[in-house]
Amino acid sequence: MYETLKFDEQGDIATIRLGRPRINVKQIRELERVCDHLEDVSTAKVVVLRGHSLGIDFLDFDPKAGMDIHGFNKWEKLVSRFENLDKVTVALVDGPAVGGGFQLTLVCDQRICVPGASFQLNEVPLGFLPGMATFRLAKYVGLGHAKRIVMTGAVIGADEARRLGLVDMVTDDLDAALAATIASFGPMHTVAFSLARRLLNESYGTQIEDALGNFLAAQHRAISQTAFLDTLRAEQKKS
Amino acid sequence: MLDLRPRILAVGTANPPDRYSQADLLARFKVDDPKIVSLFSSSHILSRHLYLPPGRPEGGPEPESQADLLRKHRRGALEVAPKAVAACLDQVGLRPADIDYLCCITSTGWLTPGLTAILMKELGFREDCSRVDIVGMGCNAGLNGLNPVASWAMANPGKNALMVCIEICSAAYVFDGSMRTAIVNSLFGDGVAAVLVRASERDERSFAPKILGFDSHIITEAIDAMRFDWDEAEGKYSFFLDRDIPYVVGANAEKPIGRLLARFGLRRRHISHWIVHSGGKKVVDAIKYNVGLTDHDVRHTHSVLRDYGNLSSGSFLFSLSRLLAEGRVRRGDYGVLMTMGPGSTIETALVRW
Repeated sequence: MYETLKFDEQGDIATIRLGRPRINVKQIRELERVCDHLEDVSTAKVVVLRGHSLGIDFLDFDPKAGMDIHGFNKWEKLVSRFENLDKVTVALVDGPAVGGGFQLTLVCDQRICVPGASFQLNEVPLGFLPGMATFRLAKYVGLGHAKRIVMTGAVIGADEARRLGLVDMVTDDLDAALAATIASFGPMHTVAFSLARRLLNESYGTQIEDALGNFLAAQHRAISQTAFLDTLRAEQKKS
Repeated sequence: MLDLRPRILAVGTANPPDRYSQADLLARFKVDDPKIVSLFSSSHILSRHLYLPPGRPEGGPEPESQADLLRKHRRGALEVAPKAVAACLDQVGLRPADIDYLCCITSTGWLTPGLTAILMKELGFREDCSRVDIVGMGCNAGLNGLNPVASWAMANPGKNALMVCIEICSAAYVFDGSMRTAIVNSLFGDGVAAVLVRASERDERSFAPKILGFDSHIITEAIDAMRFDWDEAEGKYSFFLDRDIPYVVGANAEKPIGRLLARFGLRRRHISHWIVHSGGKKVVDAIKYNVGLTDHDVRHTHSVLRDYGNLSSGSFLFSLSRLLAEGRVRRGDYGVLMTMGPGSTIETALVRW
């Protein structure tokens, strides 16, 4: 079914395992197909992105042909779709997450890695840009660390990544950590979850007046769901 | 295969000559009630085109009776509609005499004979042009009109159908110092939008959106949320907007859109362009978070609201006109048109370039 990744779905959990060292056009197409499935068909509540990646595959570029920006746009659209799935997304990093690999982990809701994992945006030293990590990274680590990471291409080890807030957990046992993380989300109310994520993602770029309007619209949607009505009934029964 | 679905071949818009900022209005009528001042300054509207009476030295406007307002509606329609019609027809090299079907839409004044008859007399339409007037349906009416216009065009291939949304909202103003009227007075603006619709093999290669289908939704529990009341004290019709409208519309917005897209086997991600009625800041926010649209998706909805206010039935056509002028649309793109108004009503249409 897929050549560049493995996809399987068991119960509430869908898992994507990256299956090649670098991201090529084929892998992007296959990730798009996975997103189609996750958006249109899948009833999974959690999506796990597992593996490691050395970033963009330079073999996809022909130095003799004119450079084409549209492939980068395709990539960003994919990353943004992944960011907005109505499921919890968890990245399990078991090695180096470089370039596009690092970018993908940044749009997940949680990041967990092994002690030997590392994170690097090596694009600027190579003469290009690390995608919309330039937009997302500073929200996690602050502008100072983001400048160092983006501009020098520094390799960030697992412990430093943990200190900076780039990863949520460093562990030898990814499966146990994943189970604990999933449990920590409790009952997953898809609508409340997606709305909270959207408001948080928008929080650095919105005027407070606009943010308040957005919040009220989102809150009305949340409290109109059966999940919130169930909560009300349960809480009122207790008292 | 011959595709004889109707297309929107041109959109033309026009507004009255005088344009006012929200601050201009407060100054003109010497409004100093802090709640109303704050309403006008917090709204997401920078300017509106309006027909306004002069201010009185002691504050407020020179009085206008209901008869004055009806005359204003007719006069305004006659001044602005011909410009929008010309702006639309010029784009496709047609004249009023080429039009075979004329549909006029308004909710801001009552006329018999209706606006179609008045425009026929003024603009030189042919005496055998078929007509329909849609009166009183409110902000959603542009799509309630486009539906039969598109059907007529499909049933009469090659013939030209023209729809004109004529809203002189300043002919429906009541100025009594209450918050109820202040909300209405801070929001609506005057403007006319005209669209030419035709189903013809001549247009098969033209880059004009095909109208694929419509889906409607009425929320009768909220039938009173937007309405005209007769105000005995003022002797005028007075429009009322319930503060819960954004939430009622938001909570139901997914239903017609879901049905419309499902009918064509589409998902929301397949829709490149969203043309949403500029009803007001809160209702647009509600649609953003219920349908899952971004600020970019509703950029024209916001900018039309900012520059013109809520133009009632023609608003979404001002947004469509801005989208077309922007030059981003590509062949094969899908678009959803969406209007909301009294009933409470949500109307939707699917188009494809």
